[in-house]
Amino acid sequence: MSNDVEEPAGGEKKRRVRYGMLVDLRRCVGCQSCSVACKSENEVPLGKFRTWVKVVEKGRYPDVSRHFLPSFCNNCEKPICNRNCPVKATYVRDDGIVMVNMHRCIGCMYCMASCPYDVRYINPLRKIVQKCHWCAHRLDAGLLPACVETCLGRALIFGDINDPNSEISQLLATNPVVTLKPELGTQPHVFYIGADADTMDPTRGVDIDHVHFHEPY
Amino acid sequence: MEPISPVTVLYNAPHQIPFQLPISQYFYFTGLSAGSFVISVIAVLGGKVEYKPLGKIGAILAPLCLILAPMNLLVDMTQPARFWHLMTYLPGYVNWKSPITYGVILLSTYPISATIYAYFVYAGNQKYAKIFAILGIPLAISVHGYTGFILALGKGRALWNTALMPTLFIVSAMVSGIALMIIMAILRNVFFMKDATEEEREKDATLIHGLGGFLGAAIITDLFLIFNAVLVILTSSKEAFEAAHLLLWGKFALEFVGIEIVLGGLIPLFIVFYPKTKSSFKWLSFASVLTMVGIFAMRFTVVVGGQSVPLH
Ligand code: SF4
Ligand code: SF4
Repeated sequence: MSNDVEEPAGGEKKRRVRYGMLVDLRRCVGCQSCSVACKSENEVPLGKFRTWVKVVEKGRYPDVSRHFLPSFCNNCEKPICNRNCPVKATYVRDDGIVMVNMHRCIGCMYCMASCPYDVRYINPLRKIVQKCHWCAHRLDAGLLPACVETCLGRALIFGDINDPNSEISQLLATNPVVTLKPELGTQPHVFYIGADADTMDPTRGVDIDHVHFHEPY
Repeated sequence: MEPISPVTVLYNAPHQIPFQLPISQYFYFTGLSAGSFVISVIAVLGGKVEYKPLGKIGAILAPLCLILAPMNLLVDMTQPARFWHLMTYLPGYVNWKSPITYGVILLSTYPISATIYAYFVYAGNQKYAKIFAILGIPLAISVHGYTGFILALGKGRALWNTALMPTLFIVSAMVSGIALMIIMAILRNVFFMKDATEEEREKDATLIHGLGGFLGAAIITDLFLIFNAVLVILTSSKEAFEAAHLLLWGKFALEFVGIEIVLGGLIPLFIVFYPKTKSSFKWLSFASVLTMVGIFAMRFTVVVGGQSVPLH
Protein backbone atom coordinates (compact mmCIF):
# COMPACT_ATOMS: atom_id res chain seq x y z
CA MET A 1 0.00 0.00 0.00
CA SER A 2 2.38 2.68 -1.13
CA ASN A 3 -0.22 5.03 -2.58
CA ASP A 4 0.92 7.90 -0.39
CA VAL A 5 -0.11 10.41 -2.99
CA GLU A 6 -3.22 9.85 -5.01
CA GLU A 7 -4.82 11.86 -7.75
CA PRO A 8 -8.36 12.97 -6.87
CA ALA A 9 -10.90 13.90 -9.52
CA GLY A 10 -10.02 17.60 -9.26
CA GLY A 11 -6.49 16.97 -10.56
CA GLU A 12 -4.96 18.50 -7.44
CA LYS A 13 -2.67 16.21 -5.45
CA LYS A 14 -4.35 15.05 -2.28
CA ARG A 15 -2.45 13.36 0.48
CA ARG A 16 -3.57 9.99 1.78
CA VAL A 17 -4.56 10.12 5.43
CA ARG A 18 -2.43 7.70 7.44
CA TYR A 19 -3.23 7.52 11.10
CA GLY A 20 -0.60 6.93 13.72
CA MET A 21 -0.36 6.90 17.50
CA LEU A 22 2.44 8.42 19.54
CA VAL A 23 2.92 7.46 23.16
CA ASP A 24 4.95 10.02 25.09
CA LEU A 25 6.10 7.95 28.05
CA ARG A 26 7.52 10.98 29.84
CA ARG A 27 3.90 11.92 30.44
CA CYS A 28 2.46 8.47 31.25
CA VAL A 29 1.69 7.82 34.91
CA GLY A 30 0.50 4.23 34.45
CA CYS A 31 -3.05 4.92 35.61
CA GLN A 32 -4.63 2.37 33.22
CA SER A 33 -7.35 4.88 32.23
CA CYS A 34 -6.81 3.99 28.59
CA SER A 35 -7.43 0.29 29.34
CA VAL A 36 -10.66 1.13 31.13
CA ALA A 37 -11.88 3.61 28.51
CA CYS A 38 -11.23 1.04 25.80
CA LYS A 39 -13.03 -1.70 27.69
CA SER A 40 -16.08 0.48 28.09
CA GLU A 41 -16.07 1.95 24.58
CA ASN A 42 -15.56 -1.35 22.78
CA GLU A 43 -17.34 -3.72 25.16
CA VAL A 44 -14.20 -5.78 25.59
CA PRO A 45 -15.11 -8.94 27.53
CA LEU A 46 -13.75 -9.91 30.91
CA GLY A 47 -10.14 -11.05 30.84
CA LYS A 48 -9.44 -9.65 27.35
CA PHE A 49 -7.77 -6.38 26.46
CA ARG A 50 -7.44 -4.31 23.33
CA THR A 51 -5.36 -1.79 25.20
CA TRP A 52 -3.41 -2.36 28.34
CA VAL A 53 -0.43 -0.86 30.13
CA LYS A 54 2.44 -3.20 30.86
CA VAL A 55 4.09 -2.23 34.14
CA VAL A 56 7.71 -3.07 34.94
CA GLU A 57 9.83 -2.36 37.98
CA LYS A 58 13.60 -2.48 37.90
CA GLY A 59 16.69 -1.80 39.87
CA ARG A 60 17.67 -2.41 43.48
CA TYR A 61 16.89 -0.04 46.35
CA PRO A 62 17.64 2.85 46.37
CA ASP A 63 18.22 2.91 42.59
CA VAL A 64 14.83 1.85 41.35
CA SER A 65 12.35 2.92 38.72
CA ARG A 66 8.99 1.90 37.34
CA HIS A 67 8.18 1.88 33.65
CA PHE A 68 4.99 1.71 31.63
CA LEU A 69 4.21 0.50 28.15
CA PRO A 70 0.71 1.32 26.92
CA SER A 71 0.00 -1.33 24.30
CA PHE A 72 -2.26 -1.18 21.25
CA CYS A 73 -2.56 -2.89 17.94
CA ASN A 74 0.22 -1.29 15.91
CA ASN A 75 -2.00 -1.12 12.82
CA CYS A 76 1.08 -2.10 10.89
CA GLU A 77 1.83 -0.87 7.38
CA LYS A 78 2.72 -4.46 6.43
CA PRO A 79 0.38 -6.40 8.73
CA ILE A 80 1.24 -10.10 8.77
CA CYS A 81 -2.22 -10.77 10.24
CA ASN A 82 -3.76 -9.41 7.05
CA ARG A 83 -1.48 -11.42 4.81
CA ASN A 84 -2.32 -14.63 6.62
CA CYS A 85 -6.09 -14.30 7.12
CA PRO A 86 -7.51 -16.84 4.66
CA VAL A 87 -10.96 -15.33 4.19
CA LYS A 88 -10.17 -11.62 4.05
CA ALA A 89 -11.92 -11.07 7.36
CA THR A 90 -8.92 -8.96 8.26
CA TYR A 91 -8.58 -6.05 5.86
CA VAL A 92 -6.82 -2.70 5.72
CA ARG A 93 -8.59 0.62 5.38
CA ASP A 94 -7.15 3.38 3.21
CA ASP A 95 -6.13 5.28 6.32
CA GLY A 96 -4.00 2.32 7.42
CA ILE A 97 -6.28 0.90 10.09
CA VAL A 98 -6.37 -2.89 10.14
CA MET A 99 -9.94 -4.10 10.68
CA VAL A 100 -11.64 -7.44 11.35
CA ASN A 101 -14.96 -8.02 9.60
CA MET A 102 -16.98 -9.78 12.27
CA HIS A 103 -19.31 -11.35 9.74
CA ARG A 104 -16.51 -13.02 7.81
CA CYS A 105 -14.13 -14.15 10.56
CA ILE A 106 -14.17 -17.94 10.88
CA GLY A 107 -12.13 -17.97 14.06
CA CYS A 108 -9.22 -19.99 12.72
CA MET A 109 -6.94 -17.91 14.97
CA TYR A 110 -4.16 -17.85 12.41
CA CYS A 111 -3.95 -14.07 12.75
CA MET A 112 -3.46 -14.43 16.50
CA ALA A 113 -0.70 -16.95 15.91
CA SER A 114 0.98 -14.68 13.36
CA CYS A 115 0.80 -11.27 15.01
CA PRO A 116 4.17 -10.58 16.64
CA TYR A 117 2.63 -8.31 19.29
CA ASP A 118 -0.06 -10.50 20.88
CA VAL A 119 -2.79 -7.89 20.50
CA ARG A 120 -5.60 -10.07 19.16
CA TYR A 121 -8.04 -12.08 21.22
CA ILE A 122 -11.10 -14.27 20.78
CA ASN A 123 -14.26 -12.63 21.99
CA PRO A 124 -15.88 -15.43 24.00
CA LEU A 125 -19.37 -14.00 23.43
CA ARG A 126 -19.22 -13.24 19.73
CA LYS A 127 -16.77 -16.06 19.03
CA ILE A 128 -14.65 -14.11 16.59
CA VAL A 129 -11.28 -12.40 16.71
CA GLN A 130 -11.15 -8.77 17.76
CA LYS A 131 -8.44 -6.21 18.36
CA CYS A 132 -7.75 -2.51 18.76
CA HIS A 133 -8.73 -0.54 15.64
CA TRP A 134 -8.04 2.89 17.06
CA CYS A 135 -11.79 3.30 17.52
CA ALA A 136 -12.38 3.52 13.78
CA HIS A 137 -16.08 4.12 14.43
CA ARG A 138 -15.24 7.20 16.50
CA LEU A 139 -12.73 8.49 13.95
CA ASP A 140 -15.41 8.23 11.27
CA ALA A 141 -17.67 10.35 13.48
CA GLY A 142 -14.95 12.95 13.89
CA LEU A 143 -13.94 11.94 17.42
CA LEU A 144 -10.63 10.78 18.83
CA PRO A 145 -10.05 7.20 20.05
CA ALA A 146 -11.47 6.67 23.55
CA CYS A 147 -8.05 6.04 25.11
CA VAL A 148 -6.63 9.26 23.63
CA GLU A 149 -9.62 11.23 24.80
CA THR A 150 -9.33 9.92 28.33
CA CYS A 151 -5.56 9.98 28.86
CA LEU A 152 -5.08 12.37 31.77
CA GLY A 153 -1.41 13.08 31.20
CA ARG A 154 -1.96 13.68 27.48
CA ALA A 155 0.59 10.95 26.86
CA LEU A 156 -1.32 9.62 23.84
CA ILE A 157 -1.16 11.73 20.71
CA PHE A 158 -3.17 10.55 17.74
CA GLY A 159 -3.43 11.93 14.25
CA ASP A 160 -2.58 11.88 10.56
CA ILE A 161 1.14 11.29 10.16
CA ASN A 162 0.96 12.35 6.51
CA ASP A 163 -0.21 15.83 7.44
CA PRO A 164 2.91 17.88 8.25
CA ASN A 165 0.89 20.29 10.39
CA SER A 166 -0.58 17.69 12.73
CA GLU A 167 0.71 17.53 16.28
CA ILE A 168 1.82 13.92 15.85
CA SER A 169 3.87 14.69 12.73
CA GLN A 170 5.60 17.56 14.47
CA LEU A 171 6.39 15.45 17.53
CA LEU A 172 7.59 12.55 15.38
CA ALA A 173 9.86 14.93 13.50
CA THR A 174 11.41 16.51 16.58
CA ASN A 175 11.79 13.60 19.00
CA PRO A 176 13.69 10.32 19.13
CA VAL A 177 11.01 7.66 18.68
CA VAL A 178 11.03 3.87 18.67
CA THR A 179 8.56 1.15 17.71
CA LEU A 180 8.16 -2.39 18.98
CA LYS A 181 10.11 -5.09 17.11
CA PRO A 182 11.03 -2.98 14.07
CA GLU A 183 13.26 -5.85 12.91
CA LEU A 184 10.21 -7.87 11.85
CA GLY A 185 9.39 -5.47 9.05
CA THR A 186 5.74 -5.08 9.96
CA GLN A 187 6.26 -1.29 10.15
CA PRO A 188 4.28 -0.64 13.32
CA HIS A 189 2.48 2.71 13.55
CA VAL A 190 2.45 3.10 17.32
CA PHE A 191 5.52 5.15 18.22
CA TYR A 192 7.03 5.61 21.66
CA ILE A 193 9.07 8.46 23.13
CA GLY A 194 11.18 7.44 26.12
CA ALA A 195 10.38 3.73 26.07
CA ASP A 196 12.53 1.50 28.23
CA ALA A 197 14.35 -1.35 26.51
CA ASP A 198 13.75 -3.76 29.39
CA THR A 199 10.04 -3.02 29.27
CA MET A 200 9.83 -3.45 25.51
CA ASP A 201 11.63 -6.80 25.70
CA PRO A 202 8.92 -9.48 26.06
CA THR A 203 11.26 -11.99 27.65
CA ARG A 204 12.74 -9.72 30.33
CA GLY A 205 11.49 -10.02 33.87
CA VAL A 206 9.34 -13.08 33.29
CA ASP A 207 9.96 -16.67 34.27
CA ILE A 208 9.67 -18.14 30.81
CA ASP A 209 8.61 -21.55 32.13
CA HIS A 210 5.71 -20.13 34.12
CA VAL A 211 4.12 -17.49 31.93
CA HIS A 212 0.44 -17.32 32.73
CA PHE A 213 -1.32 -17.11 29.38
CA HIS A 214 -5.02 -16.46 29.34
CA GLU A 215 -7.09 -19.63 29.28
CA PRO A 216 -8.56 -20.55 25.89
CA TYR A 217 -12.00 -18.97 25.80
CA MET B 1 22.67 -15.91 39.75
CA GLU B 2 20.96 -12.56 40.09
CA PRO B 3 21.02 -10.24 37.09
CA ILE B 4 22.84 -6.94 37.48
CA SER B 5 19.64 -4.96 37.32
CA PRO B 6 16.64 -7.03 38.39
CA VAL B 7 13.56 -6.51 36.23
CA THR B 8 10.10 -7.55 37.38
CA VAL B 9 6.97 -7.43 35.25
CA LEU B 10 4.24 -6.25 37.61
CA TYR B 11 1.39 -6.28 35.16
CA ASN B 12 0.89 -7.55 31.65
CA ALA B 13 -1.97 -9.14 29.74
CA PRO B 14 -0.85 -12.11 27.63
CA HIS B 15 -3.73 -13.41 25.54
CA GLN B 16 -4.54 -17.06 25.04
CA ILE B 17 -2.27 -19.40 23.08
CA PRO B 18 -4.19 -19.65 19.80
CA PHE B 19 -3.08 -23.00 18.34
CA GLN B 20 -3.56 -25.84 20.81
CA LEU B 21 -3.96 -29.62 20.72
CA PRO B 22 -6.45 -29.80 17.80
CA ILE B 23 -4.00 -28.08 15.46
CA SER B 24 -1.21 -30.43 16.58
CA GLN B 25 -3.50 -33.38 15.89
CA TYR B 26 -4.37 -31.94 12.49
CA PHE B 27 -0.70 -31.74 11.56
CA TYR B 28 -0.21 -35.26 12.87
CA PHE B 29 -2.96 -36.80 10.79
CA THR B 30 -2.04 -35.02 7.55
CA GLY B 31 1.49 -36.23 8.18
CA LEU B 32 0.35 -39.83 8.61
CA SER B 33 -1.71 -39.57 5.46
CA ALA B 34 1.07 -38.11 3.34
CA GLY B 35 3.60 -40.59 4.70
CA SER B 36 1.53 -43.70 4.07
CA PHE B 37 0.53 -42.45 0.63
CA VAL B 38 4.13 -42.04 -0.44
CA ILE B 39 5.10 -45.51 0.81
CA SER B 40 2.09 -47.00 -0.95
CA VAL B 41 3.08 -45.28 -4.19
CA ILE B 42 6.66 -46.50 -3.91
CA ALA B 43 5.27 -50.02 -3.52
CA VAL B 44 2.91 -49.71 -6.49
CA LEU B 45 5.47 -48.14 -8.79
CA GLY B 46 8.08 -50.67 -7.66
CA GLY B 47 5.90 -53.15 -9.49
CA LYS B 48 7.00 -56.37 -7.74
CA VAL B 49 4.25 -58.76 -6.68
CA GLU B 50 5.40 -59.02 -3.09
CA TYR B 51 5.15 -55.22 -2.66
CA LYS B 52 1.44 -55.32 -3.43
CA PRO B 53 0.10 -55.67 0.10
CA LEU B 54 2.02 -52.54 1.15
CA GLY B 55 0.49 -50.60 -1.70
CA LYS B 56 -2.96 -51.67 -0.56
CA ILE B 57 -2.44 -50.84 3.11
CA GLY B 58 -1.08 -47.40 2.32
CA ALA B 59 -3.81 -46.69 -0.21
CA ILE B 60 -6.49 -47.20 2.43
CA LEU B 61 -4.68 -45.41 5.27
CA ALA B 62 -4.05 -42.24 3.27
CA PRO B 63 -7.66 -41.13 2.66
CA LEU B 64 -8.69 -42.44 6.10
CA CYS B 65 -6.21 -40.22 7.95
CA LEU B 66 -7.15 -37.34 5.72
CA ILE B 67 -10.79 -37.59 6.73
CA LEU B 68 -9.77 -37.41 10.40
CA ALA B 69 -7.43 -34.46 9.87
CA PRO B 70 -9.80 -31.60 8.93
CA MET B 71 -12.21 -32.64 11.70
CA ASN B 72 -9.68 -31.20 14.10
CA LEU B 73 -9.79 -27.90 12.25
CA LEU B 74 -13.57 -27.75 12.47
CA VAL B 75 -13.43 -28.41 16.20
CA ASP B 76 -10.81 -25.72 16.64
CA MET B 77 -12.54 -22.93 14.70
CA THR B 78 -14.66 -20.66 16.84
CA GLN B 79 -17.16 -20.31 13.97
CA PRO B 80 -17.28 -23.82 12.50
CA ALA B 81 -20.51 -23.10 10.62
CA ARG B 82 -18.60 -20.54 8.55
CA PHE B 83 -16.12 -23.07 7.17
CA TRP B 84 -17.59 -22.49 3.71
CA HIS B 85 -16.09 -18.99 3.75
CA LEU B 86 -12.85 -20.79 2.98
CA MET B 87 -14.25 -22.58 -0.02
CA THR B 88 -15.92 -19.95 -2.18
CA TYR B 89 -12.75 -19.65 -4.31
CA LEU B 90 -13.86 -16.15 -5.30
CA PRO B 91 -11.00 -13.66 -5.58
CA GLY B 92 -12.69 -10.99 -3.47
CA TYR B 93 -13.51 -13.41 -0.68
CA VAL B 94 -10.51 -15.66 -0.46
CA ASN B 95 -7.00 -14.47 0.29
CA TRP B 96 -4.72 -16.31 -2.13
CA LYS B 97 -1.66 -15.20 -0.19
CA SER B 98 -2.61 -17.12 2.95
CA PRO B 99 -1.07 -20.57 3.48
CA ILE B 100 -4.45 -21.70 4.80
CA THR B 101 -5.87 -21.05 1.34
CA TYR B 102 -3.18 -23.25 -0.24
CA GLY B 103 -4.30 -25.83 2.30
CA VAL B 104 -7.97 -25.53 1.38
CA ILE B 105 -7.17 -26.24 -2.27
CA LEU B 106 -4.95 -29.18 -1.35
CA LEU B 107 -7.42 -30.56 1.17
CA SER B 108 -10.16 -30.50 -1.43
CA THR B 109 -8.15 -32.18 -4.23
CA TYR B 110 -5.83 -34.61 -2.45
CA PRO B 111 -8.49 -36.78 -0.71
CA ILE B 112 -10.34 -37.18 -4.01
CA SER B 113 -7.22 -38.21 -5.89
CA ALA B 114 -6.18 -40.49 -3.01
CA THR B 115 -9.58 -42.18 -2.97
CA ILE B 116 -9.56 -42.75 -6.74
CA TYR B 117 -6.04 -44.14 -6.36
CA ALA B 118 -7.18 -46.50 -3.60
CA TYR B 119 -10.05 -47.68 -5.81
CA PHE B 120 -7.73 -48.59 -8.68
CA VAL B 121 -5.22 -50.26 -6.36
CA TYR B 122 -7.95 -52.49 -4.94
CA ALA B 123 -9.53 -53.09 -8.35
CA GLY B 124 -6.12 -54.32 -9.44
CA ASN B 125 -5.98 -51.86 -12.33
CA GLN B 126 -2.21 -51.34 -12.46
CA LYS B 127 -2.21 -48.78 -15.25
CA TYR B 128 -4.64 -46.30 -13.67
CA ALA B 129 -3.27 -46.93 -10.20
CA LYS B 130 0.14 -45.84 -11.49
CA ILE B 131 -1.28 -42.72 -13.13
CA PHE B 132 -3.03 -41.63 -9.94
CA ALA B 133 0.03 -42.58 -7.92
CA ILE B 134 2.15 -40.16 -9.92
CA LEU B 135 -0.56 -37.48 -9.78
CA GLY B 136 -0.93 -37.95 -6.05
CA ILE B 137 2.73 -37.68 -5.05
CA PRO B 138 3.08 -33.89 -5.43
CA LEU B 139 -0.33 -33.45 -3.81
CA ALA B 140 0.58 -35.66 -0.85
CA ILE B 141 3.89 -33.90 -0.35
CA SER B 142 2.31 -30.45 -0.58
CA VAL B 143 -0.61 -31.32 1.68
CA HIS B 144 1.87 -31.81 4.42
CA GLY B 145 4.48 -29.32 3.25
CA TYR B 146 1.99 -26.46 3.34
CA THR B 147 1.36 -27.02 7.04
CA GLY B 148 5.05 -26.19 7.45
CA PHE B 149 4.37 -22.91 5.66
CA ILE B 150 1.49 -22.14 8.03
CA LEU B 151 4.00 -22.13 10.85
CA ALA B 152 6.91 -20.64 8.92
CA LEU B 153 4.86 -17.58 7.92
CA GLY B 154 3.78 -16.93 11.49
CA LYS B 155 6.72 -14.62 11.73
CA GLY B 156 6.15 -13.48 15.28
CA ARG B 157 7.14 -16.90 16.61
CA ALA B 158 10.88 -17.41 16.56
CA LEU B 159 10.64 -21.20 16.65
CA TRP B 160 8.40 -21.35 13.58
CA ASN B 161 9.87 -18.67 11.40
CA THR B 162 12.43 -20.81 9.59
CA ALA B 163 12.69 -22.03 6.01
CA LEU B 164 13.45 -25.47 7.43
CA MET B 165 9.88 -25.91 8.66
CA PRO B 166 8.20 -27.36 5.50
CA THR B 167 11.07 -29.82 4.92
CA LEU B 168 11.10 -30.84 8.55
CA PHE B 169 7.37 -31.47 8.40
CA ILE B 170 7.61 -33.55 5.23
CA VAL B 171 10.41 -35.68 6.65
CA SER B 172 8.62 -36.25 9.95
CA ALA B 173 5.52 -37.16 7.94
CA MET B 174 7.54 -39.88 6.25
CA VAL B 175 8.77 -41.13 9.62
CA SER B 176 5.29 -41.45 11.11
CA GLY B 177 3.82 -42.79 7.86
CA ILE B 178 6.41 -45.57 7.62
CA ALA B 179 5.91 -46.43 11.29
CA LEU B 180 2.16 -46.74 10.79
CA MET B 181 2.71 -48.91 7.71
CA ILE B 182 5.02 -51.23 9.66
CA ILE B 183 2.43 -51.70 12.38
CA MET B 184 -0.30 -52.44 9.85
CA ALA B 185 1.92 -54.79 7.84
CA ILE B 186 2.90 -56.71 10.98
CA LEU B 187 -0.75 -57.00 12.05
CA ARG B 188 -1.58 -58.35 8.61
CA ASN B 189 1.28 -60.80 8.70
CA VAL B 190 0.40 -62.13 12.16
CA PHE B 191 -3.39 -62.25 11.98
CA PHE B 192 -4.43 -62.41 8.33
CA MET B 193 -1.87 -64.72 6.76
CA LYS B 194 -2.79 -67.91 8.63
CA ASP B 195 -3.44 -69.93 5.49
CA ALA B 196 -0.54 -68.56 3.45
CA THR B 197 2.37 -70.79 2.54
CA GLU B 198 5.61 -70.65 4.46
CA GLU B 199 7.34 -69.05 1.49
CA GLU B 200 4.79 -66.24 1.22
CA ARG B 201 5.11 -65.40 4.87
CA GLU B 202 8.86 -65.42 4.52
CA LYS B 203 8.65 -62.90 1.66
CA ASP B 204 6.26 -60.73 3.61
CA ALA B 205 8.63 -60.71 6.59
CA THR B 206 11.58 -59.62 4.42
CA LEU B 207 9.41 -56.80 3.13
CA ILE B 208 8.60 -55.62 6.64
CA HIS B 209 12.26 -55.71 7.61
CA GLY B 210 12.98 -53.63 4.53
CA LEU B 211 10.49 -51.07 5.83
CA GLY B 212 12.40 -51.11 9.12
CA GLY B 213 15.49 -49.97 7.23
CA PHE B 214 13.46 -47.23 5.57
CA LEU B 215 12.25 -46.13 8.98
CA GLY B 216 15.81 -45.90 10.25
CA ALA B 217 16.87 -43.76 7.30
CA ALA B 218 13.89 -41.43 7.76
CA ILE B 219 14.58 -41.06 11.49
CA ILE B 220 18.22 -40.18 10.81
CA THR B 221 17.16 -37.46 8.34
CA ASP B 222 14.60 -36.17 10.81
CA LEU B 223 17.07 -36.03 13.70
CA PHE B 224 19.59 -34.28 11.46
CA LEU B 225 17.06 -31.57 10.55
CA ILE B 226 16.05 -31.13 14.19
CA PHE B 227 19.73 -30.82 15.12
CA ASN B 228 20.15 -28.08 12.50
CA ALA B 229 17.09 -26.20 13.69
CA VAL B 230 18.11 -26.37 17.35
CA LEU B 231 21.69 -25.31 16.68
CA VAL B 232 20.48 -22.24 14.81
CA ILE B 233 17.80 -21.14 17.27
CA LEU B 234 20.32 -21.46 20.10
CA THR B 235 22.44 -18.76 18.52
CA SER B 236 19.99 -16.42 16.76
CA SER B 237 17.58 -13.90 18.32
CA LYS B 238 16.70 -13.67 21.98
CA GLU B 239 13.19 -15.02 21.45
CA ALA B 240 14.68 -17.93 19.54
CA PHE B 241 17.01 -18.66 22.42
CA GLU B 242 14.10 -18.61 24.84
CA ALA B 243 12.27 -21.06 22.58
CA ALA B 244 15.33 -23.30 22.61
CA HIS B 245 15.41 -23.01 26.38
CA LEU B 246 11.77 -24.11 26.61
CA LEU B 247 12.44 -27.16 24.44
CA LEU B 248 15.83 -28.24 25.73
CA TRP B 249 15.71 -27.72 29.47
CA GLY B 250 12.51 -25.79 30.18
CA LYS B 251 8.81 -26.47 30.24
CA PHE B 252 8.78 -28.73 27.15
CA ALA B 253 11.98 -30.66 27.86
CA LEU B 254 10.08 -33.84 28.71
CA GLU B 255 8.10 -33.75 25.48
CA PHE B 256 10.98 -32.63 23.28
CA VAL B 257 14.13 -34.26 24.61
CA GLY B 258 12.49 -37.13 26.47
CA ILE B 259 9.72 -38.25 24.14
CA GLU B 260 10.59 -36.83 20.73
CA ILE B 261 14.36 -37.26 20.63
CA VAL B 262 15.09 -40.21 22.94
CA LEU B 263 11.91 -42.30 22.99
CA GLY B 264 10.76 -41.47 19.46
CA GLY B 265 14.15 -41.13 17.79
CA LEU B 266 17.22 -42.70 19.34
CA ILE B 267 15.63 -45.82 20.83
CA PRO B 268 13.74 -46.82 17.63
CA LEU B 269 16.89 -46.08 15.66
CA PHE B 270 18.81 -48.51 17.82
CA ILE B 271 16.09 -51.13 17.49
CA VAL B 272 15.89 -51.03 13.69
CA PHE B 273 19.66 -51.28 13.26
CA TYR B 274 20.73 -53.59 16.10
CA PRO B 275 21.02 -57.09 14.57
CA LYS B 276 19.32 -58.88 17.47
CA THR B 277 16.24 -56.68 17.50
CA LYS B 278 15.81 -55.65 13.88
CA SER B 279 14.51 -59.03 12.72
CA SER B 280 11.97 -59.43 15.50
CA PHE B 281 8.39 -58.37 14.80
CA LYS B 282 7.84 -57.55 18.47
CA TRP B 283 10.76 -55.14 18.62
CA LEU B 284 9.93 -53.65 15.26
CA SER B 285 6.34 -52.90 16.23
CA PHE B 286 7.56 -51.50 19.56
CA ALA B 287 9.93 -49.20 17.68
CA SER B 288 7.12 -48.10 15.36
CA VAL B 289 4.77 -47.28 18.22
CA LEU B 290 7.52 -45.28 19.93
CA THR B 291 8.20 -43.41 16.70
CA MET B 292 4.56 -42.49 16.26
CA VAL B 293 4.36 -41.21 19.82
CA GLY B 294 7.58 -39.28 19.23
CA ILE B 295 6.26 -37.59 16.11
CA PHE B 296 3.10 -36.60 17.94
CA ALA B 297 5.27 -35.06 20.65
CA MET B 298 7.11 -33.21 17.88
CA ARG B 299 3.89 -31.71 16.52
CA PHE B 300 2.86 -30.68 20.01
CA THR B 301 6.15 -29.10 21.02
CA VAL B 302 6.50 -27.22 17.75
CA VAL B 303 2.93 -25.91 17.81
CA VAL B 304 2.38 -25.16 21.49
CA GLY B 305 6.01 -24.71 22.52
CA GLY B 306 6.49 -22.24 19.69
CA GLN B 307 3.72 -20.09 21.11
CA SER B 308 4.86 -20.31 24.72
CA VAL B 309 7.40 -17.53 24.41
CA PRO B 310 5.63 -14.32 25.47
CA LEU B 311 5.36 -11.76 22.69
CA HIS B 312 4.71 -8.61 24.60
S1 SF4 C 1 -0.01 -5.32 15.57
FE1 SF4 C 1 -0.56 -7.42 15.02
S2 SF4 C 1 -2.78 -7.38 14.75
FE2 SF4 C 1 -2.08 -5.24 14.68
S3 SF4 C 1 -1.75 -4.85 12.47
FE3 SF4 C 1 0.24 -5.48 13.32
S4 SF4 C 1 0.32 -7.70 12.93
FE4 SF4 C 1 -1.84 -7.07 12.72
S1 SF4 D 1 -9.41 -15.78 13.05
FE1 SF4 D 1 -10.71 -14.51 11.70
S2 SF4 D 1 -9.52 -12.65 11.30
FE2 SF4 D 1 -8.11 -14.17 12.15
S3 SF4 D 1 -7.17 -15.18 10.36
FE3 SF4 D 1 -8.95 -16.44 10.95
S4 SF4 D 1 -10.65 -15.62 9.75
FE4 SF4 D 1 -9.02 -14.07 9.65
